[in-house]
Amino acid sequence: MLKLTDHEKAMLDGKMGKFKQKAMEFNVRYAKVLGAEEFCEVSRTTLFIGAQHYLDCYKHGEDYKKIFSEFYLCSDEDIELGEMAPECKVQTCAASCDMWNCDKTHLSKEYSDKNKVYTGAARKMGVKIVESCTPYYVGWVPLMGEHFLSTESSNVVISNSFFGAYGNSDGVEAAVCAAITGRTPKWGMHIKENRYADCLVRVKCDVESVSEWDVLGYTIGKKLPKNVVPVLVGDFKRPEINRMRQFSSSISVSSATELCHIVGITPEAQTLEMATGGKTCRHEIEITENDIAESLSKICDEGSGPVDYISIGCPHLSLDELKEISEYIKGKKIREGTELFVWTDYATKAMADVNCYTKDIEDSGAFVLTGSCPIVMREDSHKHATGMVMNGVKQAVGIRHQTKVPVYYGDIKRCIDAAVKGRWEEAE
Amino acid sequence: MMEKIVIKGRGALEGTASGPAIVFPDSIAGNSGALGDVDGVVYEKGNINYGISIKNAILVVPCAKGSNGFSAHFKGALIAGVKPAGWISTKIDARLGVAIASMNIPAVVDFTDVDPIKVISTGDWVELNGTTGEVVITKK
Repeated sequence: MLKLTDHEKAMLDGKMGKFKQKAMEFNVRYAKVLGAEEFCEVSRTTLFIGAQHYLDCYKHGEDYKKIFSEFYLCSDEDIELGEMAPECKVQTCAASCDMWNCDKTHLSKEYSDKNKVYTGAARKMGVKIVESCTPYYVGWVPLMGEHFLSTESSNVVISNSFFGAYGNSDGVEAAVCAAITGRTPKWGMHIKENRYADCLVRVKCDVESVSEWDVLGYTIGKKLPKNVVPVLVGDFKRPEINRMRQFSSSISVSSATELCHIVGITPEAQTLEMATGGKTCRHEIEITENDIAESLSKICDEGSGPVDYISIGCPHLSLDELKEISEYIKGKKIREGTELFVWTDYATKAMADVNCYTKDIEDSGAFVLTGSCPIVMREDSHKHATGMVMNGVKQAVGIRHQTKVPVYYGDIKRCIDAAVKGRWEEAE
Repeated sequence: MMEKIVIKGRGALEGTASGPAIVFPDSIAGNSGALGDVDGVVYEKGNINYGISIKNAILVVPCAKGSNGFSAHFKGALIAGVKPAGWISTKIDARLGVAIASMNIPAVVDFTDVDPIKVISTGDWVELNGTTGEVVITKK
């Protein structure tokens, strides 16, 4: 039986306006689908909104009020757009295009203008336009025990696993309605009892670099039983945030993982006993070098070959990685007819501008772009490509749903080398 | 006479639905492009149901998978006129919960005695009751 507080009842009864009423109606239906018994207060959300391609079901020029009402509020009636809950900090997730550089990414001005109309409407509702899938680099950090929603799957894993915050991998409709009401069903990862690990993962392969953590995450996701909370143990060097970002994004590609304990790193898993709540894990798997090799055969096409579309920055890069790229690329030239895109958020790019990293990168012929990525921009942005190189497993796997050309995967330096040569060379 | 099997889970969203089953043992990726936003066709590379439309089918999954955009791609397909008839899932999770709530179509989830993935085959005719949680399977 679902219990509501007086404040939640007031929203549901329409005493706080139709905008909140419709959002609360969705919350109640969602809670019943999950089997939740009450709601919790949400203090942070990120929203995958703007002219995203899931809205391609609407004709060009459709009124955004109708779109917002039908798609996010699940309402047949057009609702006057109100304001987000004042107690909830709300910002945009990855954008469907770079705000200023549609031409460089082969998207039309009309599309860019449509995105500006949609994000402009969101801004009036109190949504901050941040356009980042790694919002923790620029201040979006939920603390331990804080309830959040994020439409970025890697951000959910990061926030649960390494900040100790509480959140599910829901979806954009739930995130929008949580942002409007400040409430979401108290269910799943929002309840401490559900956060204990029940699958022990023994890491028996070498893992140190950002790319190795990237491939490890994908491999674990492939081997995990369904509906478990994993805990990692192994003889690996303590990873930092960029490695955990990559790991969190790739485990989210191959599984529905929301929380992954790493003993000694996860706030709730300073020991294995803390991670499991003192219980014996129901499942146990191990990850070997053979498993990693099998994953790589799925992530990266075999052999060498010409490439003309290279993308670095899935998920969006940190300032220290832009520094590393600028140092490696300085003095090099991208081969004519080849594109190299480096993706971050616009706040981080502003810092890269000040530090001259952007200049050094762009002097090579590459572009530092913000807010989006090839997968989210969809086919119009990359249909001209004849060979691709991606530096994130998420991007390398996901782009295959949108293209038939060869897709190679490598770390940042191999991506830059490929862009300079216009060719991917298979590792020796 | 065609073989009939009755299994029971938790009714997650009320109402009845029937249609041919499409079974996704490894679920469907929620990532952009894995499900056609306007045609409802599965384009996920490696999915055993690649190229098949979800229209009017009963979708049988163990759980959701991949991007948190999962629900949005199904909702886009629904608005474009390409929606499944109902959902069956071994266990509910948040991604799938949003999709079911947003599409507002009948669903039965959280099976404890039997795994629908193992009992139902693609092409079986399935009738589900999202109020009682009962699922009637007529083998093809």
